[in-house]
Amino acid sequence: MSVAVLEVKDVQKVYGKKGESQSHALKGVSLTIEKGEFVGIMGPSGSGKTTLLNVISTLDRPTGGFIQIAGTNITQMKQNQLADFRSQKLGFIFQDFNLLENLSIYENIALPLSLQGVSSKEIGAKVKKVAQTLGIEEILSKYPVQVSGGQKQRAAAARALVHDPAILLADEPTGALDSKNAKSLLETMTDLNENHQVSIMMVTHDAFSASYCKRILFIQDGNLYTEIHRTGDRQQFFKQILDVLAELGASHDVR
Amino acid sequence: MLLKLSLSSMKKMMKDYLVLLVGLVISISIFYMFQTLALNSDFTKGNSVIKSIQIVFNVGAFLLALITIFYIFFANSFLLSLRRKELGMYMVLGAKKGKISQILFLETLTMGIVSLVIGTIVGIALSSGIGVLLMNLLEISADGYYPFYLPSVWMTWGFFMVLFLLTSTINAVRLARATELDLIRAEQQTDDVKAKGFGTVLVAILGVALVAVGYYGLIEIMTLQLLGFLIGAIATTIGTYLLFISLLPVLVQALKRNRKLNDQSLNAFTFAQLRFRVNNLTKILGTVAMLIALGVGAMAGGLAFQKNVDLIANVGHVYDISLHDPVSEDQEALKKMTVLEQNTYSYKVNEDAVYYLKDDLLAHPPLISTNDMQNYDPNKEPERIAEPLPANLYGMNEDKDEKTGQKLEELPDEWYQVISQEFTISYKMYDGKPVRVVDQATFASVKGNEHTVVIAKVDDFLKYKQDIKAMNQRQKEQIKPASEDEEVYLTTKYGTYESVYAFTSGTMFMGFFLGVAFLAMMASCLMFKILSGATRDRDRYSMLRKIGVRKSLLVGSIYKELLFVFLFPALMGLTHVLVGMQMFSFILLEPYVNIWVPTVIFVVIYALYYLITVRLYRGIVLPKEV
Repeated sequence: MSVAVLEVKDVQKVYGKKGESQSHALKGVSLTIEKGEFVGIMGPSGSGKTTLLNVISTLDRPTGGFIQIAGTNITQMKQNQLADFRSQKLGFIFQDFNLLENLSIYENIALPLSLQGVSSKEIGAKVKKVAQTLGIEEILSKYPVQVSGGQKQRAAAARALVHDPAILLADEPTGALDSKNAKSLLETMTDLNENHQVSIMMVTHDAFSASYCKRILFIQDGNLYTEIHRTGDRQQFFKQILDVLAELGASHDVR
Repeated sequence: MLLKLSLSSMKKMMKDYLVLLVGLVISISIFYMFQTLALNSDFTKGNSVIKSIQIVFNVGAFLLALITIFYIFFANSFLLSLRRKELGMYMVLGAKKGKISQILFLETLTMGIVSLVIGTIVGIALSSGIGVLLMNLLEISADGYYPFYLPSVWMTWGFFMVLFLLTSTINAVRLARATELDLIRAEQQTDDVKAKGFGTVLVAILGVALVAVGYYGLIEIMTLQLLGFLIGAIATTIGTYLLFISLLPVLVQALKRNRKLNDQSLNAFTFAQLRFRVNNLTKILGTVAMLIALGVGAMAGGLAFQKNVDLIANVGHVYDISLHDPVSEDQEALKKMTVLEQNTYSYKVNEDAVYYLKDDLLAHPPLISTNDMQNYDPNKEPERIAEPLPANLYGMNEDKDEKTGQKLEELPDEWYQVISQEFTISYKMYDGKPVRVVDQATFASVKGNEHTVVIAKVDDFLKYKQDIKAMNQRQKEQIKPASEDEEVYLTTKYGTYESVYAFTSGTMFMGFFLGVAFLAMMASCLMFKILSGATRDRDRYSMLRKIGVRKSLLVGSIYKELLFVFLFPALMGLTHVLVGMQMFSFILLEPYVNIWVPTVIFVVIYALYYLITVRLYRGIVLPKEV
């Protein structure tokens, strides 16, 4: 039986005040992500995929609609509640890692737990465990500037996962990595999804990265365009993605 | 073309430039104010005190110059940091390096000249405002003091032009050395976390040793004299900088090593920020500590001098008022005061001597001071004279050989003290006649005018300063001077007070002047430095907010972090002051008297700057809420 970790219903986002020139970034998007899914969000630049990620990650407020994460409606929450919600239920991975460069990798990973008032001993155990999963035990005492980009992104992933979030939100996680590191990270994410039941939503415009997902939602001009499921192997899925992208590009040309 | 571009971008960054300009103007105007005092030769010569503490003043001027150099160099590297990204972009687009360096050189110099013009004007305004105000408050004559004084203007311009030319060149050279990529990536450079090794420990030990030597010099100033002062000034300054370079980062590192503390809430981040600050702000923190020490020290010194006027007057006089044959105005004035003790004694004057009635004295024995200047002890209270006067006749100030037909005993010391210090208010009043203390029979037989002397002790001498001054004036008129042009000098408490006050007010003036100057520089330095680096921290706070840190927690972290940054130099500076006040012990009875006044003034100003800094910093780093 499947349980929805994320439910988005008719979400709209309008920038600019009424009466002035407004831009509609999201024009009523609805989607559902079940527990244990690995979903990709794709779309060309300006399609609204980053806006969607921002409203889901509670960093931005939708103008209309309804978002529920792990059974909690987040659209009516106050600032402090949102902050607490983010720190407890969500895990983030960003393109530019967003590690605090003045903290060691250990301290970076420990931060979400420290914020929740977890005891120092327990923090140590949890950080060690998640570091093991991601294969970065060796670099815990180092600082971000001393490690490679791939290691940085693994550290960011560790930080996103250390507090067992309901869902992992990834924004172009491979964007700043070379192909080898990107591949390795995507394999790790797949492993997390398949063997550790981590629900993942990944925003990307890179077809190769997207091919690791189980399901992909395409967005265009603030609307959901189409959705494809991975049925066969990854290479086949990759081609399928390229086809949809070509279709999207063609629709651009027509207009 | 490039010049046009650079002008327009300067306009855009007006706010940042304004911060820089304000900083420069403050330092220039303070330097100018100082120079008006130093170079106004009529003023310094006319004021004996300032002349006598010339060495203290010169060291002060030297320190001010040193700190100004630091300040200017730092302010100009701030200017470079403002411009480097944009100038780097011009270079990427093909502008020649020489041309860019030239532009930066001109910009730095222009900035300097503009601030020099404004700074001199502000300095003149400040000198005539604060300077004259302080002089009025302290009742010292401003004769020969001109707020606008050309030699001071030349001095200020010369000093700062050399500095600006130097910094402009340095900026240009630094730019010329950097590559295009270095420049546009300037903001992406991360804070390097350097491990502090054995060298740091050595530096820390050296710092502690130097501060200790400096303190020793100041404490032992009685024996070391001028050498002690020089050792104190130099060793303490260098030691302070070394301590901030070495010890402080090590301390913060230790704080971070405490895993339990570090893992708590946002502490890991707060400590990391703090470590970054103490590593980056070492020089500025050392400077701030020294400025606090100088500022508070100068004010404390000034105040101590003022308070010691009282003490010196108190040592010689128990009674605040001594009146011979008081007139009705005197009595009226006395009635208005809260008099703790008032005694009246009769005496007669004939052509041989002055006669006090023994029984009169013994019936109301007066108090005498038990303190003296050499072995001052604030706990020594005045004591009442218990010395009996068994003989019939006593004499003082009398030639032993001169026989008057009667046998005169030597007047006991305590009585001698009271008559010479409290009763006798001018050596002129008895025309140098001897004083005798006689029994009732002798007193009655003396043919001469009978007079009275009233001595009174009030609750607060300073409260009635004006009334007592008027009494003194009337007494002066009573004692007609031998020749008209000769000034009568009264040895009453007020007379002593007045003369010592004139002597010390100059010192106090200097103390407050310097104190205000140093505190203003200090405050502007620290705030300026913290804010100029704030944009670099913006990403960190935005990231923390993203992963779900409450705003209140972020704000708390800022308060905590900056509190430490402000606290360290304050503690160091105040310790310097407490020890440094020792150096006044050879002129002052109680150097620590009223030390809380400048301390409170400082704490209030400092706390205000702390709060403003937090406020502005918050505005820069905290992300806007949706």
